[in-house]
Amino acid sequence: MTASFEIIAFSISAFVAVAGALGMATTMSMFRSGIFLMASFIGVAGLFILLAADLMGVLQIMMYIGGFLVMILFMIMVMHDPGGAMMAGMDMSLIERWFSKGLVPRAPPDGNDDGQMHHRGHKQANSARKQHAQENGRDPEKRGPGHHGGKGGSGMQAGGASHGGMDMGGMDMSMVTPVRPIAAWLAGAVGLLLVGMLVLRPNWRFVEALPDPDSARRVGHLLMEKYMIAFEGAGFLILIGIFGSVLLARPSSYPDESSRAARVAVDAGPEPIRDEGLRPLAEQSPASALRSDRRHSDEHGA
Amino acid sequence: MTIPLTAYLVVGAILFAIGVYTVVAQRAAVMILMGVEVLLNAIGLNVIAFWRFTAPEDYSAQIFAILIITIGAVEMAIGLALVLLLYHQRQTVQIDAFSELKR
Repeated sequence: MTASFEIIAFSISAFVAVAGALGMATTMSMFRSGIFLMASFIGVAGLFILLAADLMGVLQIMMYIGGFLVMILFMIMVMHDPGGAMMAGMDMSLIERWFSKGLVPRAPPDGNDDGQMHHRGHKQANSARKQHAQENGRDPEKRGPGHHGGKGGSGMQAGGASHGGMDMGGMDMSMVTPVRPIAAWLAGAVGLLLVGMLVLRPNWRFVEALPDPDSARRVGHLLMEKYMIAFEGAGFLILIGIFGSVLLARPSSYPDESSRAARVAVDAGPEPIRDEGLRPLAEQSPASALRSDRRHSDEHGA
Repeated sequence: MTIPLTAYLVVGAILFAIGVYTVVAQRAAVMILMGVEVLLNAIGLNVIAFWRFTAPEDYSAQIFAILIITIGAVEMAIGLALVLLLYHQRQTVQIDAFSELKR
């Protein structure tokens, strides 16, 4: 593996991983979030393979993309507004607008008109503008003011605040909380702390040895010998997890009380079997026909 | 080995920060689970990077990463089952609606 190839592969994988995670965090559409998350997983798998952990890369793709992502996308299909079309018209920072490009705003079906969404956008515009000012120092791109932020005066913001309590029974339908700036501050602080710790203590004791190219065999031996307990414990945990999720998702909980009561009533007293009595078998069966024949012959004999 | 360890660790730190942002800022429960997955991914990346650069003869780090993936799978399954149950009860996935355990 030449050095330039390694650098190129690392750049592509790291970019895909970070950009995918960033898109997952900022897009307004849940479905796009799932797809961006898949990109991030693929990028991290590439980094694993670059780190000579082939088994981990393959496991990453198999488990995360084959398992988790299918679960997530299945869950998103059940959700309210998976495509993010209702959120698309709200205020967004530059990066959110970039990752939500192409989403067509659509009025919610439950009577919320577009103007109210506009007002809500104004309500969040001030918080978004605060967010823009401070975004994490890692990102090279400068975030501009939000889409509605330029137009939102203070009077409009007050109007938006008065409108805010009306939609969806006091529940804001936005996919992100109003504490986004605080969350961005927190994430930036965590990232800076981690990077600072890396910079301040770079004296790791490096070992120049190359790992076994057949590392999967070594890992398998370790799993079967030294870490047998952990392996069995993980298997037991998966078993318990299966039991738990089946127990949670079993179809015994009904969305409303009436259908549940109906089902419970059906289960409590089964409908009695109506006993209509058997019809006399005289006409049909051959045995009875024989018997009737004999009765006939008896009558004849009498 | 032309890529230094610090580069991998910086990628892991950025992923961790994005995961923290997602967990705090997102409102839908499914999105929070996605953020947790990104967090676990960052941790696995850090573990594997340290294995490659400081102890390449000891393969325990890969066992650790495998266990992280396994526990992430179980957590995801249980979490999604809970989300489905709560969605059936409350008809929403916004975690603000789940502020109490009783119905």
